[in-house]
Amino acid sequence: MSKIEFAGVRKVFQGDTPNPVVAIDNIDLTVRQDEFVSIVGPSGCGKSTLLYLLGGFLDLSGGEIRVDGRAVTEPGPDRGIVFQHFALFPWKTVLGNVEYGLAEQGMGKAERREIAQGYIDMVKLGGFEDTFPNRLSGGMQQRVALARTLACDPDILLMDEPFGALDAQTRHILQEELLEIWSRRKKTVLFVTHDVREAVILAERCVVVTARPGRVKTEIDTSSGKADGAAIEKKAEEIWDVLREELVRT
Amino acid sequence: MSAPAKEGRVPRWLVRYASPVAVLAAWELSVRLGLVDPFLLPALSSVLLRAAEEIATGDVLFHAWLTIYRAMAGFLAATALGVTIGVLTARNRYCRWFFEPLVSVGFPMPKIAFMAIFILWFGIGDASKIVMVTLTCIFPIISATYLGCSQVDRYLVWSARNMGTSERRVLWKVVLPASLPQILNGLQIAFPSALIVTVVTEMISSGGGLGGYMILAARFALSEKVFVGVVVIAVVGYALLTVFGHVRRHILAWHAESQMAI
Repeated sequence: MSKIEFAGVRKVFQGDTPNPVVAIDNIDLTVRQDEFVSIVGPSGCGKSTLLYLLGGFLDLSGGEIRVDGRAVTEPGPDRGIVFQHFALFPWKTVLGNVEYGLAEQGMGKAERREIAQGYIDMVKLGGFEDTFPNRLSGGMQQRVALARTLACDPDILLMDEPFGALDAQTRHILQEELLEIWSRRKKTVLFVTHDVREAVILAERCVVVTARPGRVKTEIDTSSGKADGAAIEKKAEEIWDVLREELVRT
Repeated sequence: MSAPAKEGRVPRWLVRYASPVAVLAAWELSVRLGLVDPFLLPALSSVLLRAAEEIATGDVLFHAWLTIYRAMAGFLAATALGVTIGVLTARNRYCRWFFEPLVSVGFPMPKIAFMAIFILWFGIGDASKIVMVTLTCIFPIISATYLGCSQVDRYLVWSARNMGTSERRVLWKVVLPASLPQILNGLQIAFPSALIVTVVTEMISSGGGLGGYMILAARFALSEKVFVGVVVIAVVGYALLTVFGHVRRHILAWHAESQMAI
């Protein structure tokens, strides 16, 4: 059975303007258990909105999203999300942030501390447990956000341009770390990005979304040739060619 | 004042407090040189001597305590009510519909106009003064809380919801901590007016306190005693604001700008 199903998903933003904005129109997409899927598309095409709908943060205007066959109605820790700008709680320390979800689910202090420590070590932030987020670099903050989300042990990982706000070197390192984490504990990952190389390097399948209103334009298999630099460039070029048509339209 | 002390011989505190020290020195000198009538402006030294006597008898301390008590009681009541109303106004549209026009009319209004009515309602004792302080302080607190609570980053709320926090608990777990800097700004703005209004109400109606102390001294033409009152109010105000600043910095240790310029 498929893990995630988008069926005729539509999202219209009413806003204050007289003309409602159709962000997403009639998206159909199926994601298998433990699959790593990237979503690329022109900016403003609603690819982040797709994640927010699956996360349960926004209401659907039409269609349905199912996880394990059940319709999504509200947010839940089974679908962990990492945002582009980290969204860490600035009043909590690194440890406090990573522990947060476990505490909210009623876990005892000693147990959640141990689990949180494990994830802090995993993202290589040992020694920063008592530091507040505003003292950390962007890359470190995003590591905290990743640890915080992973600590809740979600089945599904939603990543909304998580490395978009970071410099090239940090991004490269975090990409490798994410792949390593994913290979160790399998999760179903939906990864939104505007970087086609990133999509090729990370994902098994790349979904290209059209300019607004967003629809699925095409899907490209990116599961093979990960170790081969030339193959990655070729695949990225292929995605670019599809994407370029959409970029021209915006 | 951030002028760096270039010469090691000038004490740091003198550089930092140069302007108040200069004013105090000018005050003392102008009386000593006979430029002003010592009845209208007694010398600083004689005011301080008089202050020492008043403190020794405990008289001025008693009045200072009354003033602090009224100011703090009114301020704390305004904090409790103001934060509650501010949160409700930000989170509930019926509350917004109800309170928003009241706050827009009430904020700029000179609240002291209600003093006569409050004396009528609550008598000339503590109650009318404390209510007056509360009414004055509550508007900046409501306004700051409302602003803080309605500008909370939606991604913070989503993060909490994502990790299992219910819609209701979001208020406690995210909205209030996230708007704490703004709420404390509101309190810091309201705080000086608590002292001002307390002293003014003490001048208007009897019942002691530093305001009453000064008015009484003025009636008996004890100019030094009036100035003692001024000095004590200045010290009390500065001390309370310093304590407030420390508490604020402690609570907001996580915040980037843990000190607001005021």
